[in-house]
Amino acid sequence: MTHQQTQPGDTKTAAILAELLGSGTFAARITAGQNGEFYLAVTEEEFTPAIESLAARKCVLIGLFCVQDFSPRSRFSLLYVFEKKSSILILIRDCAGTATSIARIFPSANWFERECRDGFGIEFSGAFDKRRLFLHETYPEQFHPLTNETPNRPVTPKKQVAPEEEYPFRTVHGEGVYQIPVGPVHAGIIEPGHFRFSVIGETIFNLEVRMFYKHRGIEKLAQGKTPQECVAVAEAISGDESVAHAVALCIATEKISGISIPPRALYLRTILLELERMYSHLGDQAGMLVDVAFPLGANQFSVLREDLMRMNAILTGSRFLRGVVTQGGLTKDIRKQDLQVLLDFIQKFTRRYQVGLKIVLSTTSLLDRFTTTGRIPKELLRPLNITGPAGRASGGKVDIRISHPYGIYDTVVPVPRRLHDGDVLARFTVKAAEVLDSARMIEQLITGLPEGPVHTDQPVRDGYALSVVESARGQDLCWLWVRNGMIERYKVRTASFCNWQAIEHAVIGEILPDFPVINKSLNLSYAGTDL
Amino acid sequence: MVNALSCFLKKKVTEDLMVPDEDVERTGRELKQQIDAVFGRSLAIRELDTGSDNATEIEVNNLSNPYYDAERFGITFVASPRHADVLLVTGAVTHNMAIAAKKTYDAMPSPKYVVAVGDDACDGGIFKGTYAVLGGVDKVFPVDLKIPGNPPTPAAILTGLLALMNKAGKKA
Repeated sequence: MTHQQTQPGDTKTAAILAELLGSGTFAARITAGQNGEFYLAVTEEEFTPAIESLAARKCVLIGLFCVQDFSPRSRFSLLYVFEKKSSILILIRDCAGTATSIARIFPSANWFERECRDGFGIEFSGAFDKRRLFLHETYPEQFHPLTNETPNRPVTPKKQVAPEEEYPFRTVHGEGVYQIPVGPVHAGIIEPGHFRFSVIGETIFNLEVRMFYKHRGIEKLAQGKTPQECVAVAEAISGDESVAHAVALCIATEKISGISIPPRALYLRTILLELERMYSHLGDQAGMLVDVAFPLGANQFSVLREDLMRMNAILTGSRFLRGVVTQGGLTKDIRKQDLQVLLDFIQKFTRRYQVGLKIVLSTTSLLDRFTTTGRIPKELLRPLNITGPAGRASGGKVDIRISHPYGIYDTVVPVPRRLHDGDVLARFTVKAAEVLDSARMIEQLITGLPEGPVHTDQPVRDGYALSVVESARGQDLCWLWVRNGMIERYKVRTASFCNWQAIEHAVIGEILPDFPVINKSLNLSYAGTDL
Repeated sequence: MVNALSCFLKKKVTEDLMVPDEDVERTGRELKQQIDAVFGRSLAIRELDTGSDNATEIEVNNLSNPYYDAERFGITFVASPRHADVLLVTGAVTHNMAIAAKKTYDAMPSPKYVVAVGDDACDGGIFKGTYAVLGGVDKVFPVDLKIPGNPPTPAAILTGLLALMNKAGKKA
């Protein structure tokens, strides 16, 4: 395990973090990680007071995952990732197989702990929800794929699931309450997931989301690969977040190995990240309009999206910008004439996009559907760690590009976009502002693009680091541990994983026909959640 | 609000239809002829995602955008497998989706065709041989056509459907 030399600034941050933990004595033990994050190993006696102190000081639990053979003291280590403004603190807790749950203090821990249980067999005592998460009923008992002892080989699933073994959904009782099961196979061209509505008439009384139908074993697949080989795995996490996840992985590798990539590669990566944000936002804006039956508006955006995806293909040869980002920079340069085509396109794009926006925002019947629909109250943002446009439309501040600038976001700073209504209209509007911002940033980046190489070939060193990027959907976390040049653990936590839990709250009291538009306005990736 | 009067006085905002892809148009026309001949004017497709990374879904969805507008070639995406002639499957089949996938296939009336779209659906792709997936779609039910790609472009999907129609026409 390697550690960076401690800088004077680190000591100051360590003191601030120790303050958050409620005891100044921690300051000397907090160590700086490779990418600006801080680590502190805590004993079981220190753990509970530390957690309570972090909760009282309004820290957000943004990740919790298990790593095997990380600490010499125990078989498993649980890593709790906390965020407070621009500081990230990771608590390392030894764990032999059981641990106390913190889900009652930090509700976002609920899914995280269930994920650790399925993956590593860790039992959390005092947890209010102990159901399986990503391993559905067909997986055999006592099967925990992420432990080192379990080889990544095909397993024999159960062919049939007895009714008593089926997933126990929360049941809601009362006069006139009935359940509507939806999915996993939906009516449209959408990914699979199950929604269990409890409704009274048309009004949604309760919703329980069951995901992980698409669990493909991404994290296990990464183990034993080199970070370079893993880029293709990162791109397969979620199709329209290919660049974000590839960049997150590469940043982690580069930080661990002390690789600084050429400036031109930094600029081009940022252009790709912003292009991805644009086409992703356009897709869900079009989708939101389709879901309220407004094809005139929807087509304005879907045409622009197709144009953008064709632009992607011109620039990189892939409509999803795949195969370009790599450790040490980019696999290939983007030709000068293609960048000129992009610049011309972006200038026209802004004008065309505004035409579409005007059509949408001047249609009162549509505004009527969007306003006050699917509200996410601001109070939910911190407990559930809701980020991205969904968080910013509810008064949230988190934008990783601003709070933890990576790449060149410290020089090309995005404008923070915030609204407070938290409804579908607010999310639509925040996305619209971000699309226009991205277009402006791309123009700026092309104009200021430095010459030079786009790749540096340097060896990978061993170590671990956390990297956080802002994808179109929000905060994406990637924790990478490289040992003997191979990946020991690749932990991914996408924005969708946390944001999915927001929808259960956003739909309460809404009518069932508004569910599709609320779902689309949150733009949740099923593949990115299920991994 | 848009003023109704100004709508009459102003120039029409409708843009001229560009023909941006000669290839897509040609494939589409051929496809329409084949669908007319083999399936009596309309081909009903049910899309089923058994574990893709959502890029393939995006491309299948793009078939309905104004550039491709696949409906004019006689293709309709239907909401239920009971209405479908073709099952378009994307992604390697995960254990968690296996039962639902089989139920979807069984719900389709015969004659039915299955098309695997994308590398993962064709043979499991990068997930082949891992704990979480059974493999390609052909591990669960018979597949009539495979369209490779990561993901295949909308044009490639149209070309694949044309190949399927040619095959179905010969069989009939």
